[in-house]
Amino acid sequence: MEERLKIVIVGHVDHGKSTLIGRLLYDTDSLPESKLKEIKEFCEALGKDVEFGYVLDHLEEERKQGVTIDTTQTFFKTKKREYVIIDAPGHVEFLKNMITGASHAEAAILIVDAEEGVKEQTKRHAYILGMLGLKQVIVVINKMDLVDYKKERFEEVKKEIIEFLKSLNIEPKYIIPISAKEGDFIAKKTEKLNWFDGPTVLEALDGFSKSDELDKKPLRFPVQDVYNFDKRIIAGRIASGIITEGDEIIVFPSKEVTKVKSIEEYNKILKEASAGKSIGIITEDKVFVDRGDVITKKGEPAPIVTDTIKGHVFWMDPTPFKEGERVLFKCATQEVMCDIEVKRVIDSSNLEVLSEDATTIENRQVADVIIKTEKPIVVENFNDIPSLGRFVLQREDTCAGGIITGFGE
Amino acid sequence: MDKLDALESESIYIIREAYRKFHKLGMLWSIGKDSTTLLWLVKKAFFGKVPFPVIYIDTGLHFKEMYEFRDMCVKKWGLNLIISKNYEEAEGLGIGPSDKLKCCAIRKTDALKKTIADYKFDALLLGIRRDEHGVRAKERFFSPRNKDFYWDYKNQPPELWDQYKTQKESEQHIRVHPLLQWTEVDIWEYIKREKLPVNPLYFAKNGKRYRSLGCKPCTSPVDSNASNIDEIIEEIKKSKITERSGRAQDKEEAHAMQKLRALGYM
Amino acid sequence: MIVVIAIDALEYNLVEKFNYKNLKQEKYGKTDISEFSQPRTMVLWSSFMTGENKENEILALGDKKMWNYQIDIKDTFFSKFKNPKVIDLPGFSYDLDEHKKERELLKAFFEAKTQEEKEKIKKEYNQRSLEHHKKIKNEFEKAIKGEHDFVLGYFSAIDVIGHLNFGNKILMKMLYKDMDELAKKVRTLGYPVLILSDHGMKAIGNFGDHSEYGFWSVNFETNLKNPKITDFKNLILDVMKEKDKEFK
Repeated sequence: MEERLKIVIVGHVDHGKSTLIGRLLYDTDSLPESKLKEIKEFCEALGKDVEFGYVLDHLEEERKQGVTIDTTQTFFKTKKREYVIIDAPGHVEFLKNMITGASHAEAAILIVDAEEGVKEQTKRHAYILGMLGLKQVIVVINKMDLVDYKKERFEEVKKEIIEFLKSLNIEPKYIIPISAKEGDFIAKKTEKLNWFDGPTVLEALDGFSKSDELDKKPLRFPVQDVYNFDKRIIAGRIASGIITEGDEIIVFPSKEVTKVKSIEEYNKILKEASAGKSIGIITEDKVFVDRGDVITKKGEPAPIVTDTIKGHVFWMDPTPFKEGERVLFKCATQEVMCDIEVKRVIDSSNLEVLSEDATTIENRQVADVIIKTEKPIVVENFNDIPSLGRFVLQREDTCAGGIITGFGE
Repeated sequence: MDKLDALESESIYIIREAYRKFHKLGMLWSIGKDSTTLLWLVKKAFFGKVPFPVIYIDTGLHFKEMYEFRDMCVKKWGLNLIISKNYEEAEGLGIGPSDKLKCCAIRKTDALKKTIADYKFDALLLGIRRDEHGVRAKERFFSPRNKDFYWDYKNQPPELWDQYKTQKESEQHIRVHPLLQWTEVDIWEYIKREKLPVNPLYFAKNGKRYRSLGCKPCTSPVDSNASNIDEIIEEIKKSKITERSGRAQDKEEAHAMQKLRALGYM
Repeated sequence: MIVVIAIDALEYNLVEKFNYKNLKQEKYGKTDISEFSQPRTMVLWSSFMTGENKENEILALGDKKMWNYQIDIKDTFFSKFKNPKVIDLPGFSYDLDEHKKERELLKAFFEAKTQEEKEKIKKEYNQRSLEHHKKIKNEFEKAIKGEHDFVLGYFSAIDVIGHLNFGNKILMKMLYKDMDELAKKVRTLGYPVLILSDHGMKAIGNFGDHSEYGFWSVNFETNLKNPKITDFKNLILDVMKEKDKEFK
């Protein structure tokens, strides 16, 4: 069975996101046949060549009609696998939507205009990619045609972006000069950029992997629910590691120990299951387990149990946060009220420090915080096990997302 | 993990979240391939049980094969079926498919509004997919609707990772979309893998088959010779024409025809 | 020579949006057709060539007969020229059979029962209209190189194709671009050029309905502001007189 990789394309408005998407679809022959056929027939009847510009105009038109690009078309295929481009609007008003889209992506393309270089949204979007923990990142320096395909200009922008990304702990896997409009280095290497010896965008994407590293980490099985239909089944989705029938397991935070009697799926008994799979387990002993608990394996590194964490949060609610307000902290299936102490606050557009000891966080600001939860929680450093190292804060709706960078005061 | 396993696990996670978080959960079942797949995923999520009611909106205009298929599944899977209907009112008022907008509103939307109010549902599972229509690109897995079913898509709460909107405000109900990331091909590949029952209307007869099912007067078959699931999958992969192309066009077409007639073209 | 490029349904807003400079020429704007009850093609072009509002006369003929209406040259301002060439103009030198065929296909499209049938008809309809478009273009390009003192070419593809494809902006853009290229060719010849549409077009989903104003543009000096379609008769005749004076 084939695999599907979810990607997101982000960058400053007008740096060429739509053109790149159009080009990816066009060069991989992924546009709906009916539309292309009509365009081709028309060109023939008028005695003209089919131009990529026409295709792009059409996609652009659809975007204006409120649809970024018809999602029926945002799948494309290479020899290696299928890709789906997740909708992530670039405009600052739609930041929430951009973050939502990017949080579901497995890889990202950050697009930068060769003429303009790094701009406000380049910074904000890059920051979000870092915060979301996307490791598989390609930077494309677009519109090389406008700078006469000059290597010097590419190197300048490349230097600027690398320095900037370094400050965010993002190491792009590739930095590729392209012209989405002209089709340079998207699907094919072209003469105009013969000084560049790196991959095309498609080659770079194909070089990414579906992350299977999570299997190799310690078992973390956040309990989603406990059912008592016919049997008592503990249900959830494995966040990391592998669970095997007969495993000795420890329930956190109670630290009760038992054994996996069986791994259940409807009409099936599994011998083992790994990260990403939704399963149910039946335990040997009737331990007390409820939603929010995290099941781990004996002999593997234990998770952190604490009521104080350090983290970065990205605020995305028009109503600012003021110290003293209590909000709901949600991490995996755990939900608990918390207090937040604000430390440093940063403007996400230019990453300038606004205050080293703030008491409020406003919309689109990023903050270093200390979160004190009402009860101890089971967590991890974001870099170790992402799904136990990231959280959202909620009022009526989600108002911030964040990652855990440390524990204790 | 392959594509179908990943999709299945994600859908099951979402279904279980909805079941845990909402007091009164229901599921919309249109008898079509998508919501039947969803029904199967519900069974898998709860180890064979369907622990909440399944709502079928009877417009009075469906194909007889759909009613037969419905009854077969209800019996086979032991479903708690709620039949939501308002077509008597439509018929009383003489509103039929000649006025598509009104017909849909009264037979579908009004029926569902009544059912939601009668049973006090606070969340519904729906089998919609992103690839069905452009605007669905904006859909969330958990999507609030007000009492008039209004969807404020420009101002939706963020939905990060697998943290969903599981708190509803009064007057709202939440629509939950476990199949959002699936495509039409995924659905058929999964139906094949899981050996799910398929409504015979989907298979080609005399060079035509139905690609999606709805009310008889407003659903047209497509040209096809696909008489089994493999052939359907091949056909969709090749065609690149959207599933619902044509359907949305109907209303505009009626309006355009009226205008052109006024200009003397007809 | 004076040249008129008569374009059915050229939409002011689209010319603006695509920003085709040769269609806009030196001076351009909307025409006022609010005196007519509906923006009907036959009514508008008949009024153009006679300089009189012909609505009542044409409506009296009914929907069927109106398309066959033909005005005698002596009732039009074309008769003021010695050697005019008027190509395919509705109500005058219109290819009756061809345009009838197109209207029949349009009707057949709406009456077709299945999507497949509709697609088939639409394709034939588009192709046919483009074939005709090419033919008229050839004729027109020959005429402007000839010995005429007045040449008018009427181009219907933007209207015909627009009715079923207006939502497909890429097709529309290609057609507008084609007309822009044609206008460029004409303009380089150095004659006075009027580009005129009877009405514009607005979207109903993917389909096109007529909008309630036309488009005009010229490459010469004029005080014309917010003109009616009947005003162009005198505009052209004035230009003709100017040219005659120069000649003498």
